[in-house]
Amino acid sequence: MALLSKKDAKLITDPLADNNPITIQVLGICSALAITAELKASLVMGIAVLFVLGVGNVVISLMRNIIPSKIRIIVQLIVVASLVIIVDQVLKAFAFELSKTLSVFIGLIITNCIIMGRFEAFALANGPWRSFLDGIGNALGYAVILLIVGFFRELLGSGTLFGIPVLGDAIEKTGLYATGYENNGFMLMPPMALIIVGLIIWVQRSRNKSLIED
Amino acid sequence: MANTDKNSYTIIFAIAMVIVVGSLLAFTASSLKPNIKENERMEKQQNILYAMGINGNKGEGDITFISTDKVSEVFASKISEQIVLEVKDGAILKQMNRDEFVKANNKEPYLIDIKKEQAKAKNGSSRFLPLFKGEQEGKTVYVAPIRGKGLWDAIWGFVALDKDMIVRGTYFDHKGETPGLGANIKQRYFMDDFYGERLLTDAGVFKGIAVAKGNNDPKNEDKDDYEVDALAGATITGDGVSAMIKKDLKLYLPYFKNLKK
Amino acid sequence: MEHVELFFKSIFIDNMVFAVFLGMCSYLAVSKKVATAVGLGAAVIFVLAITVPLNWLLDQYLLQPGALSWLGAEYADYDLGFLSFIMFIATIATMVQLVEIIVEKFSPSLYNSLGIFLPLIAVNCAILGGSLFMQAREIESLGLAFNYGISSGIGWFLAILAIAAIREKIRYSSVPPALRGLGITFIITGLMGIGFLSFGGMLTGGDEEEKPAKKVEATVKKVESKEDKKEEIAKNTKTIQ
Repeated sequence: MALLSKKDAKLITDPLADNNPITIQVLGICSALAITAELKASLVMGIAVLFVLGVGNVVISLMRNIIPSKIRIIVQLIVVASLVIIVDQVLKAFAFELSKTLSVFIGLIITNCIIMGRFEAFALANGPWRSFLDGIGNALGYAVILLIVGFFRELLGSGTLFGIPVLGDAIEKTGLYATGYENNGFMLMPPMALIIVGLIIWVQRSRNKSLIED
Repeated sequence: MANTDKNSYTIIFAIAMVIVVGSLLAFTASSLKPNIKENERMEKQQNILYAMGINGNKGEGDITFISTDKVSEVFASKISEQIVLEVKDGAILKQMNRDEFVKANNKEPYLIDIKKEQAKAKNGSSRFLPLFKGEQEGKTVYVAPIRGKGLWDAIWGFVALDKDMIVRGTYFDHKGETPGLGANIKQRYFMDDFYGERLLTDAGVFKGIAVAKGNNDPKNEDKDDYEVDALAGATITGDGVSAMIKKDLKLYLPYFKNLKK
Repeated sequence: MEHVELFFKSIFIDNMVFAVFLGMCSYLAVSKKVATAVGLGAAVIFVLAITVPLNWLLDQYLLQPGALSWLGAEYADYDLGFLSFIMFIATIATMVQLVEIIVEKFSPSLYNSLGIFLPLIAVNCAILGGSLFMQAREIESLGLAFNYGISSGIGWFLAILAIAAIREKIRYSSVPPALRGLGITFIITGLMGIGFLSFGGMLTGGDEEEKPAKKVEATVKKVESKEDKKEEIAKNTKTIQ
């Protein structure tokens, strides 16, 4: 951490817990619901957002003094959208297999309010290096929650992790299933993601009382 | 820095932005177009071959296509015939082989855009139905493309049928179904369930295959029930698959009836 | 009839919040008070009602494969589909900025209470989702697109109104301190979502594509009909089981 001053390091560590984009700032919920039925998808989405938010924050920060305030939202959206579209087209041309895996996430990334939220709240007012750190930190904080939710939903819903069965075979009734255990298909439904995030908030705020609302 | 709140500045900035972003996007799109087209072409061939059972699968749950450097060659050797039917209102107007079709439309039959053809049928004009003839374990199979709607966006696939319209392989894909739920139509365990299922009743009436919840047959051993096991939490995507099988494969019924005669 | 069907379907069965979980961020963050919730909900209806038909026109005359044929036959082969995201989002962002300016001018108090969330309507995924669904579901006419925009907006409005009302009441309940506010809102929304899942069953009932097929097969149908009935009975008994 010699590279980063204390203030800069805080930009990365804060969003991981006490200023988490999902549980505290309430940003990026839709995508968190849509893709966390599977751990692998959560991971891919986390990495994609890390990339887009890191680069996007730097671009917006570099442009912050020349963007007319009246049309700043359009400018921000166009920056994200063109960034994502260009990456998508390049992947389609040179890494077709990878692009097929990612294509589902394209729309979710553009409308992920975590990206716009950080542009508005941070990159428009800060220099590129700090904006970059802020982007990385928030994306990591977002990814952490996605992975936790994805872990529980996939484990309890399908009995697998990263697609690998860990509880035995549900149809052949081996492993844990031999004792009468059943997968809870309900965990795969989006409402359960909401409830799990609610429980994460519960745990987090019980441990850090200063976060409790009124 | 200039006053960024001035209207004139805002307008100039907007115009500059449109020009820069527009040309950047147009440039990437047009310069990458040949590569993307080629990739899509190979993907279609890979999918058709996969539905016929010609693939590079290694072990259970794995989906591997014929590699891209070989696919054109394999496609040319394994697909013995590409047939295009021109249909309207459930009747075949015309049957063409590949050469006739290419001559008339300047396009390979396997590149027919099913979305466009469905729109043509909806507008009341005739549409093209491609069919790819190949061989599987010594028997002739016919691969037909299908297309429909899932929960979020388009879903499509290829189904290999034998002369009695019994399924001999499938490939499904989607544009944006929910990962872990609807997206699982692309999984081996879902696609493989269709193998051996019948589309016709004993009387020769078209019945289709339903993706059914509460199927009492999770291992899918009963091949005469016109049902396969649904995916948990993906009702609408599953219904989309049932619907596209029912709607699109039914169009081929007259062809298979002629085949029997 | 088509309009009525689409209207109720988009409000209840395909509810933006409870069925497809779009527009969650502003839904969760701006639902503390009924008054602000009403303001934001109205803004969403307004923006959806404008952007969906606008984007429908863009899609029909610019973006779809072959959409440019009105320019002349030589343009018929162009496919600008890769631009749809950016075009849709640009339309939306413009409209949102317009709404922001109007609200700021006429209702400063509403403007202050909506704060950061008015700009965030632009990335409210319910708005872009509305346009993308319109494109994916191939909505047929401008009128239907307008209807779809308004009714999905109303669906979203009802959802945020309901949760805001619940949150105002729940302030008097003894919720565990750590769950107060956001935590309990997440859980309530989850439970409401589970409730709305039951509307989803209504979708699977009808078979839209049967109608046109019937005409063609009038002759085959006679033979089929007996069997169909048997099947139907079998199907019904199965669902009951």
